Amino acid sequence: MGDRSGVGLVECTILEALDSLGARPRRHRRSAKVLERVEERIGLAPGYAYEVLLDLARPWKMPLLLVDGQGNFGSRGNDPAANYRYTDAGLTRAGEVVLAAERGELAPVPVGLINGNVYREGLRPPFCPQAIIEALREVIQRPRVTSKDLASIVGPPCFLNGCTVTGDYAAMAAGRPTTLRLEARVTMSDDHRRVLIENFPPNANPDEVAHTLADRARMRTWAAEHPGLYGRTHLPLGDLRDESSQARDTDLLVCVPARGTTAEQLREQLMNVYGVYTTVRVDLPRSLPAMLRNWVKAHADEDLLNSLAALENAVRSQAARS
Amino acid sequence: MSAQQERPGYPAPVLAATILAAEGVSFLLVGSAALWLHGVPIPVGDADVVIEPAEENLRRLGDALAEFALRHQELPRVRALPWLNVLRVVTSYGIVDCLLERGRLDWQKLCQSAVRIPVADVDVPVAAQADVWALRRRFKG
Repeated sequence: MGDRSGVGLVECTILEALDSLGARPRRHRRSAKVLERVEERIGLAPGYAYEVLLDLARPWKMPLLLVDGQGNFGSRGNDPAANYRYTDAGLTRAGEVVLAAERGELAPVPVGLINGNVYREGLRPPFCPQAIIEALREVIQRPRVTSKDLASIVGPPCFLNGCTVTGDYAAMAAGRPTTLRLEARVTMSDDHRRVLIENFPPNANPDEVAHTLADRARMRTWAAEHPGLYGRTHLPLGDLRDESSQARDTDLLVCVPARGTTAEQLREQLMNVYGVYTTVRVDLPRSLPAMLRNWVKAHADEDLLNSLAALENAVRSQAARS
Repeated sequence: MSAQQERPGYPAPVLAATILAAEGVSFLLVGSAALWLHGVPIPVGDADVVIEPAEENLRRLGDALAEFALRHQELPRVRALPWLNVLRVVTSYGIVDCLLERGRLDWQKLCQSAVRIPVADVDVPVAAQADVWALRRRFKG
């Protein structure tokens, strides 16, 4: 892991490779070329490195994107990315800032702290970039700021896509293991006849959810023997339409209740289907305020306010593009 | 009225285990779902089930998982089950951890004090509370 950015070794090597090829924001290079460079540097085969490169460019994976992808980088569903011979990649502003920090041209930046590693089955959740930057500024400018204030500035983890996050934030911020629940947005249509599911949690696959809902609506072999269980588990779904749009980068499932069921009743049941909600286990290595304070302490002799400003500009640039 | 009947709904992982029972799979529920059914106020993250190691039962398990696993492509072949330690399956009721090695090692012992707890209209086989706590202490620290 790059000590000065918290970004992983393979990720840093990908950024270096992009830079060595002159890839910049809006100046893309063929992914195959980038992966060739990565293999030359650390011996990681293109098939493995490509998975990491894809993640660095996927907006549903992490809050701060380090790579700007062009071409088919896959979808949240079952649509895979195109082969690396047919996609292009460039550095984002945040990617450039990470490289500058790693090379010592800029003071360290807390990108690892922001992006976490939950997207790769790790236990550190992602946080809102602006909130982490604000909290670090507080530590630098008011070293006596309380842990409670710091936790409150950072707020809950930021799992993107607009999904709702609930759970024991206090335990998480205190560095205790806990499980968070992530819920898609499940609403009624204006005419109250359909239920709309969107803003899926990042670790849910909308295509799988559609498959599951259809599966939960069908008759079971044990239904006659266990009508009570069947009643509790059967989904009263009359119709299901996938109205996701790749062009608008949105996932939307439209559920029509079965005859005799109201949309409100269906909505209640949908909220309990795994995929519509998911869980994620989080366990910070130490308390969140301690992580922030340690980060500042470890780099106290450098111009952190300057690097945080550079990172903030990169965050703004990403927000403006999206 | 028992503790679980007083609650308005069952946690999804408890229903996952109940469906396994309805599908005819022989297992014992352990972990947080088992403690919840014993009336312990505990958040239920997933369903941990110790699977009876008999060949016929593993076949039934394979059929049942094929019915309700979200990612069929990740399911191992039935003939591989006798050699697996833990099989983690994502279902529409949450995560089910099939503890296959524990079944091979401790099935008879755990069965001695197991109980059956009704969920909806299915009797779910659940390991004794003391055994569940002992397993938790051993594997969760």
